[in-house]
Amino acid sequence: MHLASFDAGLLQATLRRALGHGGDFAEVYVEDRDSLGLRLEDGRIEATSGGRELGAAVRLLAGAHTFYAYSDAVDEAGLFAAAEAVAAAVRTGDSGPALVDLGAVRSDPGRHPVAVPPESVAVAPKALRVRAGDEAARAAGPEIVQVTVGYGDTRQRVLIANSLGDLVLDDRTRTRFTAQVVARRGDVIQTGHETVGGSAGFELVDEDIARGVAATAAEKAIIMLDSRPAPVGAMPVVLANGFGGTLFHEACGHGLEADAIAKGASVYAGKLGEVVAAPIVSAYDDGSLTNGWGSQAFDDEGVPTQKTLVIEEGRLTGYLYDRLRAREAGAAPTGNGRRQSFRHVPIPRMTTTYIAPGDALAADVIAATPKGFYAKSLAGGQVEPASGNFVFGVAEGYLIEGGRLTTPLRGATLVGNGIDILMKIDMIAGDFEVKTGICGKDGQGVPVGTGQSTLRIAEMTVGGTG
Amino acid sequence: MFDILDGVLERARARGAREVEVYGERSTSRRLKVYRQEVEQLTAAQRQGVGVRVFREGAVGHAYGSDLTAAALDELVARAVDNAEVSDPDEFAVLPAPGGAPADVHPYDERLSAATDERRIELAMSVEAAALAADPRVKTVEDTMYADGDGEVFIASTAGVRGSYRSNQCYAFAYVLAEQDGQVETGYSYTVGRALEDLDPEGCGGEAAERAVRLLGAHKCPSMKVPVILDPFVSAAFFGVLSSALTADAVQKGRSLFAGREGQRVAGELLQLDDDGVRADGLDSAPFDGEGTPCRRTALIGGGILQGFLYDTYTARKAGRGSTGNGVRGGYAGLPSVRPTNLVVSGPVTPLADIVAGMERGVLVTDAMGIHSGANPVSGEFSVGISGILIEDGQLSAPVREVTLAGDIISMLTHVTALGDDARWVPGGSIFTPSVVIEGMAIGGT
Repeated sequence: MHLASFDAGLLQATLRRALGHGGDFAEVYVEDRDSLGLRLEDGRIEATSGGRELGAAVRLLAGAHTFYAYSDAVDEAGLFAAAEAVAAAVRTGDSGPALVDLGAVRSDPGRHPVAVPPESVAVAPKALRVRAGDEAARAAGPEIVQVTVGYGDTRQRVLIANSLGDLVLDDRTRTRFTAQVVARRGDVIQTGHETVGGSAGFELVDEDIARGVAATAAEKAIIMLDSRPAPVGAMPVVLANGFGGTLFHEACGHGLEADAIAKGASVYAGKLGEVVAAPIVSAYDDGSLTNGWGSQAFDDEGVPTQKTLVIEEGRLTGYLYDRLRAREAGAAPTGNGRRQSFRHVPIPRMTTTYIAPGDALAADVIAATPKGFYAKSLAGGQVEPASGNFVFGVAEGYLIEGGRLTTPLRGATLVGNGIDILMKIDMIAGDFEVKTGICGKDGQGVPVGTGQSTLRIAEMTVGGTG
Repeated sequence: MFDILDGVLERARARGAREVEVYGERSTSRRLKVYRQEVEQLTAAQRQGVGVRVFREGAVGHAYGSDLTAAALDELVARAVDNAEVSDPDEFAVLPAPGGAPADVHPYDERLSAATDERRIELAMSVEAAALAADPRVKTVEDTMYADGDGEVFIASTAGVRGSYRSNQCYAFAYVLAEQDGQVETGYSYTVGRALEDLDPEGCGGEAAERAVRLLGAHKCPSMKVPVILDPFVSAAFFGVLSSALTADAVQKGRSLFAGREGQRVAGELLQLDDDGVRADGLDSAPFDGEGTPCRRTALIGGGILQGFLYDTYTARKAGRGSTGNGVRGGYAGLPSVRPTNLVVSGPVTPLADIVAGMERGVLVTDAMGIHSGANPVSGEFSVGISGILIEDGQLSAPVREVTLAGDIISMLTHVTALGDDARWVPGGSIFTPSVVIEGMAIGGT
């Protein structure tokens, strides 16, 4: 079964059946996903695993109602059964709108160029990268007691057809390499984590990169062995470039997703044009960033991805839409309709979200801070879009004293409220960097990039144990 | 499905693999959301697939797929055999042997199979209606969800493991926003069971609303060291994170703060923590685990003493003992890994009202954010953001938010001094726990 040669007539017939009892938009999503995962722990490559999953979903919109059916069968019987399941759920009795004939297949090959397709490389060379990572991490010091290195690649091909006549084929390759390292000295145990990933091929993980990622994770763990418990209280917080972008992702990004907006469940609802951040803050969501881990040529509704300005010099300028929420709001979709797989309904999701770089030098941001907390690496976090309250863990933090980084601090958590924190950003450097992650929402995990330059928040609550 | 499994074993044998295990899954599920008394989303799903593990002198290869045609199964088996070539051998990685009779549990209730979409929708609507009616300050019910699943799993191996069972479960969930003076607070609740008749939609909606409303007017409080009461939702989240450190996998890989502490005191004397894979009302109960090993009850902490860990076939062999039936699979595409089934927190209980009345100053914690990112299962240190209600002079007083709760897991467990009389199931890990009282916790605020 190849999606490129999939029978467009069958897709059209499926759409027609889906609209048989009413509804105003129908869509078929066919997915072919091939994945490989390698994992090394304790110096051993554990059970190597790979697989191919095929499936199809039919979605029907009727006003504000969504009906969705999926199965692993991508033949006529499977597609028609799914179409009939959604059609049976609509109870309007009206027949659907006129179905626009499917046009020519649109695709954008080379939008995120893949130099070395992972499927063209045998499993053994991938295993060598993982071993190189293990070796590099262990070489970092005698304190290293545990190294876990992971390699994964995925080729996901999706074919999306809808009743508007869109027919899109998107061919996505993603590759990622991760290292997690545990260091121990006496009774003190600390971990370090580092990762590289992108919408790219095996070229992303050459041997030097693999070694570098693992060595960085190991160094983080070793540095944190000398850490002491973080203090408690409100203080200036400097967020490092790269991983610091989790702040914006949590504090603001989720609240810009149009499903939260539509339900009034976001502090950013109804605030378009209003000041929600300090004037030095501009921010984007960019699903088209070349080779970005969170990038695609098209979203999972067949809408081309784009760079969306969400905050311009402190003013809120846009939300992140999927088709459903764009339609309700009378806005244009922004290419943010994403789904984890055919088993998931598309919802508005971030892609690569970031605060744009500023003019300051990172060193000057720290030097301008007499006493504060420096968060070099964040461990992930959580937000309640309705209240804007968020929390995230700091994997690697330092005390700032006299404008210099001094003691490493562990066990810190940053707690705050979205708009409040964005208003307090008072310095932004130019050392922009993007990190990769998997963001979870409504039980769906999708690859996202988070980025920023080094920046300072004038005051924020640090929750530590010291 | 056994035909397909046998076909996979046959293909693997033809490729020279002698030790092979194949796991199959076939399921249907329904998920629906209502919003403002209308169906917002209805999903009907069918799922099937197989996963195959090949053991070659201690090296394991795994492959999975949803396409069960002959050609796809040929490719699946070829991949598993190839993957075994790359993996490193390990003397403890062996094909699981038959582990005896399956446990006598029946995680399937016919009543659920008779449920209609109309009844499901009606149930979800009554959850939302109860939440909306509970208090005028309820602004909206952002999420009202009902979901159920009905699945069969099958396992067969060249070692003679062979079994299948059917299970089902359902739950409803509400996430409520309450508003007062421009401040929004949230609350949620679940109801779980194996039949619609087991669920309590009104209770679920009403409780979610109450949990949101009672946080209205919350402020930060001063930093202090006080006893806290973790309500069952928060307690379940903590025990969920903690449980990963109670697996033999974490212990053997140096990732557990409990390593080497068997027989030692790790918790308050009254605390009992079990993994119970055969409890009749447990949603994760099953006759056998993802390797065909019978499920059972395993004591983890008893009388405050660490009793033992959870094992699958691999970790058990490494430790020179038997599997506890905790080789859990997350579906046909996943490899078995050591995970809890149903976690049960028990011990002598005290009426919750008496606990509050006896507390001069403390915090009833009703929500914790960032437990998964803010708790380190290796070092045991954690710092999480919490919301809850202050307790002053034995009475619940003002709500608090945007404060942190910090400590380390062992000292937290050893400071457990009482359990409430409000034990309940919390899904998303299947944990049965009451409110848990802990002395001397650090609250970080203003």
